[in-house]
Amino acid sequence: MTEILFFIEVVVAGLLAGTMYSLVALGFVLIYKASATFNFAQGAMVFFAVLSFVGFMELGLPFIGAFFVTILLMGLVGFCTERLVLEPLLNESEDTVLMATIGLGFVLEGLAQAAWGVEVRRLDLGIGDFPIQWIIDSTGLFISALDLTAGVVAAGLILGLSLLFRYTKMGLGLRAVADDAGAASSIGIPLNNIMLMVWTAAGVVALVAGMMWGARAGVQFALVDLALKALPVLIIGGFSSIPGAIVAGLIIGASEKVLEVYIGPYFGGGIEGWAPYVLAIFFLLWRPEGLFGEKIIRRV
Amino acid sequence: MTSNSENILEIETIEVVYDGVIAALHDVSLNVPRGSVVALLGGNGAGKSTTLKSISTMLASERGKVVTGKIIYDGFEVKNQRPAEMVSMGLVQVLEGRRCFGHLTVEENIIAGAYSRKLSKAEIGDELEKIYSYFNRLKDLRKKQSGFTSGGEQQMIAVARAMMAKPKMLLLDEPSMGLAPQLVSEVFNIVKKLNQSEGVSILLAEQNTNIALRNADYGYIIETGHVMLHGKADSLLTNDKVKELYLGISKQGRKNFRDVLRQESEQHPDLHMQLGQTENTTSH
Ligand SMILES: Nc1ncnc2c1ncn2[C@@H]1O[C@H](COP(=O)(O)OP(=O)(O)OP(=O)(O)O)[C@@H](O)[C@H]1O
Ligand SMILES: [Mg+2]
Repeated sequence: MTEILFFIEVVVAGLLAGTMYSLVALGFVLIYKASATFNFAQGAMVFFAVLSFVGFMELGLPFIGAFFVTILLMGLVGFCTERLVLEPLLNESEDTVLMATIGLGFVLEGLAQAAWGVEVRRLDLGIGDFPIQWIIDSTGLFISALDLTAGVVAAGLILGLSLLFRYTKMGLGLRAVADDAGAASSIGIPLNNIMLMVWTAAGVVALVAGMMWGARAGVQFALVDLALKALPVLIIGGFSSIPGAIVAGLIIGASEKVLEVYIGPYFGGGIEGWAPYVLAIFFLLWRPEGLFGEKIIRRV
Repeated sequence: MTSNSENILEIETIEVVYDGVIAALHDVSLNVPRGSVVALLGGNGAGKSTTLKSISTMLASERGKVVTGKIIYDGFEVKNQRPAEMVSMGLVQVLEGRRCFGHLTVEENIIAGAYSRKLSKAEIGDELEKIYSYFNRLKDLRKKQSGFTSGGEQQMIAVARAMMAKPKMLLLDEPSMGLAPQLVSEVFNIVKKLNQSEGVSILLAEQNTNIALRNADYGYIIETGHVMLHGKADSLLTNDKVKELYLGISKQGRKNFRDVLRQESEQHPDLHMQLGQTENTTSH
């Protein structure tokens, strides 16, 4: 019985961690949809966003104030990226844009450290990394309050963004651009506005992910690499699929925890770091287009 | 003076270059009178699409540039606008190859056409009904993913989508491409009806000379970026030599293009041509 309870605990913790991966992967998917580019700057955006958030709090802004000022700042980052990087490169190849996002990543990392310094900050969200008593009482499961909060916030944000893209005019515009940017432009969908929206959404995602991860591990440069955890998620889910990103994030989260706990000891532990990539490679062999990767529609 | 309210579109001797070097158009001039259908005819690589993209400003996204000459649309000079700005001025291009949003439903495709307009949900519904009254066939397909509809249906989606923007002028790029003859006439019938009932002016690029001229008021024939011949659609249509050249029907075998045109200008003074220019620039 306790064996089973323990297994459930592991899976639940994994799923909750997985919602964060889903969320970060969603940031990538949105940008991929709009510009068919893998945004290498996403990790730097996470770092930049949460470091700025902590910085604003240190300057004396209240939590909510710092949160919204940072969102505005990420909107500004999106605006500058669109105007200074993407717009001039609009007619260049996707490879060129890819290189530009790598450059953007370095710029954001540099800016963040120049503005706020290099030392590791502590971020206290007022939520402890302790099991929640009422869950223990009712089910016997030990679930961390921080894990649960992160999971719920990520799930809420994912739901919100999905609805936005399914049911709003902007969302229709984005889906049109994702299918055929030229045709979208020919009927008057302004590509630059769509880009701005997508980069701002990615900025919000980056901030929330940074806050959740930063609260556990401290706000530090390592957050840049944590965002790359989204890569195996994208391989499994498909680069252009929102449901794919969500499900694959959960799969990675749960399986990485399960593998760590049950198989990890045979490898001397610490397999969380690379197990998702092995999983992704197997997946790639089985379904190269990803779990929900949009099938390419071709007609003769 | 250029701004002439009788013409919704006036193109004055434009030269267009891709990538800064490849000259696609040399000296194209044409007018589209308000409310008319004008056909732009020519073979592969003649410069039809380039002409349309110069007007809609889609050219910029392909590194193309109008280097000399002038385009006046609805009294305004077309210069460095974005395609979205042209759409809000009432000019919409239907691109070659239909280009539907394959993962969107037929209805979502059409609604996307109204992106430039500020419409309420109810207004969008009314507009959709109006569009479906022209495109009956699309109404039954409204929930279907457009990527899985037939070529003819996709062409209708593309035109319907463009009409949702409430254009004053449509630029249609080879709507007959890859369609069975019966579907071609169906598409052209709708286009003609849109022109007559909605008053939308149309510039129509086609390789299918016959069907284009039968639905147009006026026609221009271009080759390698030059206007070779232009005139009333019916005079072009009844012109044996035009048929010979563009339908590939010739009793005496293929003639030199310039010789044919020279003969034509002697026999039909109502057709206009630009031979002097051609002789200098075309070398074989
Ligand atoms: N994006 C581009 N870059 C470079 N050259 C181009 C480009 N598009 C067209 N051209 C060239 O410009 C010339 C005119 O092409 P255009 O596409 O306008 O012809 P068209 O009349 O539309 O032909 P088709 O009937 O085959 O569509 C051709 O020589 C073509 O190779
Ligand atoms: Mg063409």
